[in-house]
Amino acid sequence: MGSGRWSTDVWTAADNYRRASGKSAFAYSDSGARKAHPALDPKGVTKRESRDSDEHPFSTPIAVLFDVTGSMGGVPRVLQTKLPQLLGLLTRKDYVTDPHILFGAVGDATCDRVPLQIGQFESDNRMDEDLARIVLEGGGGGQMTESYELAMYFMARHTALDSFSKRGKRGYLFLIGDEMPYAKVHPREVEKFIGERTEPISTEELVVELQRTFDVYYLLPTAAGHGGNRDVLQRWRGLLGQNVLELDDLDAVCETIALTVGLGEGTIDLDAGLDDLVDAGSSHRGTVSKALAPLQRNGVVRRGTLSVGTAKSGNERL
Amino acid sequence: MNEHVAVVDLGYGDAGKGTVVDALCDRGRIRAVLRFNGGAQAAHNVVTEDGRQHTFAQFGSGTLRGVPTHLTRFVVVDPLALAAEAAALGNPYELLTVDGDALLATPWHRAANQRRERARGGSRHGSCGMGVGETMAYALGHPHAPRVADTLSRTGLRRRLAAVESDLGPAGVPLDDVVDAYLAFGRTVAIVGTPYGERLLTEGACVFEGAQGVLLDEWRGWHPHTTWSTTTFDNVAELCGSFTRLGVVRTYTTRHGAGPFVTEDPALNLPEGHNATGEWQGAFRVGHFDAVAHRYAVEVAGGVDALAVTHLDIPDSCPELRICESYAVDGEPWTRIEPGPARDLGHQEALTARLNRAEPRTLSRPADWPEAIEGLLSAPVEIESYGPSSADKKFRNRIH
Repeated sequence: MGSGRWSTDVWTAADNYRRASGKSAFAYSDSGARKAHPALDPKGVTKRESRDSDEHPFSTPIAVLFDVTGSMGGVPRVLQTKLPQLLGLLTRKDYVTDPHILFGAVGDATCDRVPLQIGQFESDNRMDEDLARIVLEGGGGGQMTESYELAMYFMARHTALDSFSKRGKRGYLFLIGDEMPYAKVHPREVEKFIGERTEPISTEELVVELQRTFDVYYLLPTAAGHGGNRDVLQRWRGLLGQNVLELDDLDAVCETIALTVGLGEGTIDLDAGLDDLVDAGSSHRGTVSKALAPLQRNGVVRRGTLSVGTAKSGNERL
Repeated sequence: MNEHVAVVDLGYGDAGKGTVVDALCDRGRIRAVLRFNGGAQAAHNVVTEDGRQHTFAQFGSGTLRGVPTHLTRFVVVDPLALAAEAAALGNPYELLTVDGDALLATPWHRAANQRRERARGGSRHGSCGMGVGETMAYALGHPHAPRVADTLSRTGLRRRLAAVESDLGPAGVPLDDVVDAYLAFGRTVAIVGTPYGERLLTEGACVFEGAQGVLLDEWRGWHPHTTWSTTTFDNVAELCGSFTRLGVVRTYTTRHGAGPFVTEDPALNLPEGHNATGEWQGAFRVGHFDAVAHRYAVEVAGGVDALAVTHLDIPDSCPELRICESYAVDGEPWTRIEPGPARDLGHQEALTARLNRAEPRTLSRPADWPEAIEGLLSAPVEIESYGPSSADKKFRNRIH
């Protein structure tokens, strides 16, 4: 026993963490990589699968794709450091059964070299490796559009979800960004980046197709370049309705996603979820509360059995 | 091996838990090493076959084999020492998860610990000066003692650290610098909830790596020369329903710092590679194999399923080395240290006084050391260790 062989001064430690996190979180991108890591390259991928297993019999797929272009500024780097905590948050309070998490990144197919990066659904910290491999392109055009439609095309047609095929239960897809999607899916881009032929599809049609298998949410961090932009908000609200959330503080991204999933699963109501955050030492109650206000449904889903037959109306049972 | 194994030192620490954990990780497919007591003051030496050497403190001793470490809620986490250890290992943060409920050691705990030991002058308890016990003590009286999950939020963290500073007095370091360093820790390490540890246990065989030794246990050791930590299998039993209980002993007994040591014999020529006199702990002491104290350790630990015996290469080079099977105290033989009631420090203190009067009664030299130790401790020897690396270990394949 008896340690103390190393320096324990606070400045050295802080510096070590800064350098270590810089290295481990962004190693692939910072090494100058200009194409998708093989583990994240969507080209030729048949399906990204979220499968039930003996250990995780009731898998719940959760995909988080974020914009890595220039307008997002430092946001992707913050996301890369924050998102590894997502799994812990989801499991700590049993918001969701057997979460499988997939990370990916969205760019601009008209001018970026890496417009689409999609990892695997993972049920343990292996997903963090995918995060570390994401190339932060930092490009993007000046027209306030990115290729979200290309990402949504991949998620609609190249995922296989046991939760959906076995139980009819949709997964969760979170898009994090600050711009609008293009108006339609371009067959030329699909061929170039995903490697298959397709027909032109309007983004509206595609969202309808995608929503068969995923509950889709758009998170707009106000810290990003076009944060709070009315046109961007309006466009996404037209596509996704109330599932467009504004996020004041990027540090609260994991909490926001976790509570959104908890609300979607009916395992919590908003107030209970916000209290959980405070209990867990999170300081983001206000931010998350504000972000999730659009999702607050009236009334709370009751767990436990409802008595049948005593009510006057036939609509009592949820 | 397909079952969880808990590795516990049956002496005063330094029996060789690190090298045993490393060998287990080399041999089987281990999902993770879980730490279940102590903190940054642990020092578990591992030497791999290719010559790499590291003294593990907060990272588990399977790290050089790529086995992940999980620090459970029973560990006192020291983010400052952790940064330094991680840097020494090449920052393998991807191999580390920390329970958000674990207590945080701070520079103020450390300073208070050192002041307390300094004030004891010549009668130091043999603490490591890392503030681990001070952190445990503080948490007992302060429900809002800082915990690992606090490092995720600046305002909450600052409030809790400021409270520690105001309660324990200054430590010569500005509060905001500590806040920054601890926030950097929170951003870098994966902080998880308690279900994560439970999931690890369902995903594969895990090794529980104990710190210190049963004879230093806060409730069962020779009070007050103990550590503020549960060193028996009790914490493991709280985390895990079923596991193999592996007790580790050396062919000779060692102790850092003050406290009873009946079989101590400074005349023994036993060179020590990794342990030296520490500023806070005092001298490294050696003596003959103390079967009486080790039997007591087995009893208070609730029994062991198997033993690992380390330093089996030493008896050959030290012909004076013996095994002590019984003590004499006040002219009377004393062969069994009977465990007292649970959590009775008065009893333990009286025991300490009695041990201070005891001396070895019978010292004998066995022909077959593993066999002799098996008989004296009533448990089969599963691992024999003849040197520092995993290649120096012999597994008898009797436990599964």
